Amino acid sequence: MMNAVGATPLIEQWSEAFRAVPQSAGPDWLQELRSEAARQFGVSGLPNRKTETWKYTPLRLLEQQAPSIEAAASASPANDDLPQTVVSASSGMVDILNGRLIGDLPETPPGLTLTPMADGFEAFGATLQRLLPAAELAGPANAFTALNTAFLDQGLIVHVAENTDGGSLLLRWSRLAETSARLDNFRLVVLLEAGAKFELIEQFESAPDSRGVLNVVTQVELAAGAQLGHVRVQRESEEATLLTKTTVGQAADSRYRYFGFDLGGGLVRHELGALLAGEGADTDINGAFVLDRKRHVDNHISVDHAATGCSSSQFFRGVLGGASRGVFNGRALIRPGADGSSVRQSNANLLLSPLAEMDTKPELEIYADEVEASHGATVGQLDETAVFYMRTRGLSEDESRRILTAAFCHAVTERLEDRDFAERIAGMFDAAMPGGLDSAGER
Amino acid sequence: MLKIKNLHATVGGKAILKGLDLEIGAGEVHAIMGPNGAGKSTLGNVIAGREGYEVTAGEVIYQGKNLLELEPEERACEGIFLAFQYPVEIPGVNNTYFLRAALNAQRKYRGEPELDSMQFLKLVREKLEVLHIGDDLLHRAVNEGFSGGEKKRNEIFQMAVLEPSLAILDETDSGLDIDALRLVAEGVNRLRAGDRSIMVVTHYQRLLDYIVPDVVHVLADGKIAASGGPDLALKLEEQGYTWLEQGGIKALKQEARA
Ligand SMILES: Nc1ncnc2c1ncn2[C@@H]1O[C@H](COP(=O)(O)OP(=O)(O)OP(=O)(O)O)[C@@H](O)[C@H]1O
Ligand SMILES: [Mg+2]
Repeated sequence: MMNAVGATPLIEQWSEAFRAVPQSAGPDWLQELRSEAARQFGVSGLPNRKTETWKYTPLRLLEQQAPSIEAAASASPANDDLPQTVVSASSGMVDILNGRLIGDLPETPPGLTLTPMADGFEAFGATLQRLLPAAELAGPANAFTALNTAFLDQGLIVHVAENTDGGSLLLRWSRLAETSARLDNFRLVVLLEAGAKFELIEQFESAPDSRGVLNVVTQVELAAGAQLGHVRVQRESEEATLLTKTTVGQAADSRYRYFGFDLGGGLVRHELGALLAGEGADTDINGAFVLDRKRHVDNHISVDHAATGCSSSQFFRGVLGGASRGVFNGRALIRPGADGSSVRQSNANLLLSPLAEMDTKPELEIYADEVEASHGATVGQLDETAVFYMRTRGLSEDESRRILTAAFCHAVTERLEDRDFAERIAGMFDAAMPGGLDSAGER
Repeated sequence: MLKIKNLHATVGGKAILKGLDLEIGAGEVHAIMGPNGAGKSTLGNVIAGREGYEVTAGEVIYQGKNLLELEPEERACEGIFLAFQYPVEIPGVNNTYFLRAALNAQRKYRGEPELDSMQFLKLVREKLEVLHIGDDLLHRAVNEGFSGGEKKRNEIFQMAVLEPSLAILDETDSGLDIDALRLVAEGVNRLRAGDRSIMVVTHYQRLLDYIVPDVVHVLADGKIAASGGPDLALKLEEQGYTWLEQGGIKALKQEARA
């Protein structure tokens, strides 16, 4: 469908930017894919209020900033200018500054290879030719994937060989303060061969006065029996927009375990879609967020059960203070024939302020037999009886509220297997808790 | 220890306490009995400082201080402990963590050094042992999924750790098996000391076989309708509250005079 939205100045500006990009190296099919993607976003325009999946996430911040798309200057900032790492990963760290790989890639253990996208078309040609065009481009809902594809240049391919443990890798995404807002695109491809094991930890941070958009598309493929742990810790600035889309394709008996921790950001949207394509695949998607001020976090999760005997779980907790806004959309589709599936979904949210708002929507569609399903979504306030109970034991009102609120998010951190890491993340949540009544504004 | 004079209180705009007088001396144990809805829990909640329980007249003096001016946590730090009739579940907050935070908040208030986790654990183990409580409850979230009896034990355990000067037990004996009843009684008796006072709200005389009170009061229609020795509880057990209403109080008062 074509509509007038396609002609916004921002789309014009980006289409112009696309024409200005010198056709960089890469196979012919890639050039064609880029052109097709550019055509798509030129036609569809940005998502707007009428785009169902973006209804609650207006792009005002982005439209105000009108970020430009241009190749980032290669930079080599001092390590002190980059954020502290949230964890030390056994297989090293990759730095991505303003959407660009910087520094040298780490030496990796046998079985784990890291390849910049530009070099990947040789080593992973056939896989990329299949995978990259598989990302959906059509319609305003996919405008940012189309944009990401049109400007596809910076990227990283992570590959773990059959039956090997690739250890853990940290991706440190950072953005420095900039005078003008930019939109940076990055493509991440994660390939685990049969029986491989891997942990991917991503931290997203930006300098307090950094602005603009980081637009990351991640494509994960898990072969039979592969196991991927995926953690994301997001502490972007209040002016920063982070748009991420992850798709996970899962073969038989593979396991994907995700934890998303959102502790900051101006406008943050994460789309995560898992396709359980092989029998016995399992996906476990967890998230927690704490928001204050005018921050906005949108989690769009969708799990597609397309084979028998698969299980999926979605477990999200959110705390909203100030005038913040949260969106949770959890979809689970059990296709005909995906019998014996198990699907769980739980989403609970705490509103600390009368100005905060949460939109939560579970969508369960079951077309198979013998399906075990449970779901629940709540938006509520702190239990005042519990506050009183704690005060009668000597804890101050503020402290009681703080403990109760933090406990809400601990329900997610407790699900992490690594106890030390769980404690560190729990500590971050404790520190990020809006201070009880104070942040609630007029109350 | 505690002096309540002419206390009037409303809950949700409804008058519940209607001129209640009660005095508990240091080292004394007082039992409060009375029909359902008489205002026993209301009294406990007013003393603990619960929001929504409005005092419209009268005063509550605790250790010479005007209690009604203090926040609930200040009252706790001053040594008041309320064992809830319905203990509250707090999902996600570990029992041990909660109790240590509470104890340290109280110690800080009193200018005492806070306990580190080793010191605290040692204290907790001692208390568990004397109360014959297993340590499995420690690792769980506060009261979450506890059985009725486990919740009551947990209240007694908290009391043992916090060592209050004035403990109010609101039907801590309800829903307990015989062994647990003894355990609760033992917890209370261990706390008995010259400088501590205890107020036991109960419907059953049986608890008073284990915790022998100095005074038994009957709270009816928002007032103390009668007070007496331990035998008053026995008499109530025999006769029921209707006996009181039908002139039993007068008889009792005459008995007391004689
Ligand atoms: N929030 C409220 N709004 C209105 N009435 C209330 C409220 N809370 C308590 N009450 C009423 O106050 C009265 C006294 O209640 P309270 O809990 O103090 O009784 P009690 O003596 O402890 O009874 P029980 O032996 O059943 O525990 C009851 O009639 C009760 O319904
Ligand atoms: Mg009661």
